[in-house]
Amino acid sequence: MIPRIALLGNPNTGKSTLFNRLCGLRSKTANFPGSTVEHQVGRCVTKSGQEMDLIDLPGIYSLMLEMPESKLCADCLDGRVGDGRPDAALLVLDANNLSRNLQFAASALRRGLPSVVAINMVDLAERRGLIIDERAASQALGVPVVAVSARSGQGIDRLIAQLTRTSTSIATPNPDTAFPTTEPGSTASAVWAADVFARIAAHPDEKNDDRMTIHDRLDAAFTHPLLGIVFFVLMMSLLFASIYWLAQFPMEAVDGIFGWLGNGVEMMMPAGTLRDLMVNGIVGGVSATVVFLPQILLLFFLLALLEDSGYLARAAFAVDRTMRRFGLPGQAFMPLLSSHACALPGIMATRLIPNHRDRLATILVAPFMSCSARVPVYALLTGVLFAGRPLAAGFAFTGCYVLGGIVGLATAALLRKTILRGPSTPMMLELPDYRLPSIRNALTIAMDRGMLFLKNAGSVILSIAIVMWWLSAYPKSPPNPESVAIELRAVEVAQTDPTVAENLRSQAERLNERTQQSGSFAGQLGAICQPAFAPIGLDRQLTVAVLTSFLAREVFTTTVFVLAGAGSDADGEDQGTLATVRSATRDDGLPLFTMATSASLLIFFVLAMQCLPTLVVVARETGSWRWPLLQFCYMTIIAYTAALFAYRFMS
Amino acid sequence: MTLAPIRIPLSQLARGQRATVECSALDSLPNEHRCLLAAMGMGEQCEVRVCRPGTPCIVQIDRTRLGLPHGIADRIMVTPIESTSP
Repeated sequence: MIPRIALLGNPNTGKSTLFNRLCGLRSKTANFPGSTVEHQVGRCVTKSGQEMDLIDLPGIYSLMLEMPESKLCADCLDGRVGDGRPDAALLVLDANNLSRNLQFAASALRRGLPSVVAINMVDLAERRGLIIDERAASQALGVPVVAVSARSGQGIDRLIAQLTRTSTSIATPNPDTAFPTTEPGSTASAVWAADVFARIAAHPDEKNDDRMTIHDRLDAAFTHPLLGIVFFVLMMSLLFASIYWLAQFPMEAVDGIFGWLGNGVEMMMPAGTLRDLMVNGIVGGVSATVVFLPQILLLFFLLALLEDSGYLARAAFAVDRTMRRFGLPGQAFMPLLSSHACALPGIMATRLIPNHRDRLATILVAPFMSCSARVPVYALLTGVLFAGRPLAAGFAFTGCYVLGGIVGLATAALLRKTILRGPSTPMMLELPDYRLPSIRNALTIAMDRGMLFLKNAGSVILSIAIVMWWLSAYPKSPPNPESVAIELRAVEVAQTDPTVAENLRSQAERLNERTQQSGSFAGQLGAICQPAFAPIGLDRQLTVAVLTSFLAREVFTTTVFVLAGAGSDADGEDQGTLATVRSATRDDGLPLFTMATSASLLIFFVLAMQCLPTLVVVARETGSWRWPLLQFCYMTIIAYTAALFAYRFMS
Repeated sequence: MTLAPIRIPLSQLARGQRATVECSALDSLPNEHRCLLAAMGMGEQCEVRVCRPGTPCIVQIDRTRLGLPHGIADRIMVTPIESTSP
């Protein structure tokens, strides 16, 4: 049987870097049943082929604190969760902060598990002149001690050899070792740690120097009420721009690859239901999932770099004061900003928020932030609303972002005063040292988050995408008689004027798409639901467009182009396309887009929860479908009411 | 007759000033905050150095830097230590 080893330590001890060094990409994020606190599980394979399963538990300051992370670690060590007691524990201590870390080690070693202590970041300590005596440390703690540097790899081979020996033995810590019986932070524990520290570490006398250090200056700048905000806005703009723009290229590549794949399948398979399912259901569904991956990978890679550099903890303090006014902590700003690129990674990034209520409030308001999927919808509707007035269209476009932000923050304040009422945890944070971030570590974290998204959200999104495809593809409608006539005309002119023939064929195809759309189950559903949308100015066709955009907002523009006869591959920013959309008519011959309808739709899309993948991720992150359902109902009511006001006012 | 040491809130220390966290200095805080601060290194009799006064109040204890909101720093009583640097 493969031995299981629990990794335990204070936050900022380089525990996860050590875990990544030992396991590489052979790891995954997991939850113990009934717990929402995450941990990593990975497999370490020694050079001789021996295997060990490592459980990277969350960083904690004490096993006795009334915090979910502390309880989870204590339960894991005592075998109350998972597959019983681990075979051994690997305690990770920071060589540069040994006094406090030794107190934590003592409280963990008292539990009697076979253990190994890794004193990490010894390279940094040695630069300060601090020398760790491994043998003296082993004697003082009663377990093997190895000095390592997870970043450089120093001492890692010796640590693996020691872990192999300890995990397969039944040796518990030396019973003669006298550990303090009180918890970390108590006077007895501090006195014991000071005594052990004096025995195991030779260190230079560090004079008490009260002058400002470079760390002090950086801290003062990054947490300054004004300068700190300026730095933060700059840093976040860079992060946001990187996600928004850099992700475009891989997203286009994903689109291209799946388009090519779809065409390939279409050519290889005979026409029929199975081909439709493969091309439009499965390939389309997988594409709809994978297309989010570049943004998720980029966000978590850049976030990991920022966190590793030590900046993120300071930034949280810089914005804490402003965010508290809306009942949110400083840590909520970054997920909300990321949600402007895409709500999915933004919601996943709320794991940085320690307080449960704060995190939940942030998750619930994140979809109010205008994401990149809304951009084509905004471009289309502002273009229709302000034809020939680019400045006004630009203001309206910006106004959509502002409206989403204001309603989101107001909702957060409302939530924290009602259903999420309760004290906020004041932000008491350890500020880690500034350092050069590890690219390797950031890549591992980004890969892990990406895999987690594909595994948990991807499968649900794919299933629902297939259902949505089926609803809009069936039952099959007979070809539109008008399109048949146009196709015949195309055949007639094919020899004399191929360009006209091609245009006629496209026109016939669009007519057929439109007929199919109105005759499908989704179209029939649109007809049934239309009375509910009539007060905000939507006819049957626009109701279908709103309903199908529930899968993803950008689907709205595609549907509108089909309805308007501009073709499903039209560009929303193209003036010719906009002119076609503006001149589109309803079944009764009236204009499809009046000023009132366009304004009402625009406001509806700013505020409505028209994104199925987001609901799936919210369910996954909150551990229940109760919250996404509440979120959907609340946002839909707000969006509908605001759209109704806009429609009445503009009418 | 010896004068009792002056105890002041941590938030009133100036940048670079050092102080000792006294016994019962954290008593006015809720238990969960007191336990967390102690586990983070701010226990009884520990020496703190103020790196940044105000909000947040950043203090250094040994090699650890902690950021505290004003409301918490205001409720931690400390005894200032006279400066030893020239």
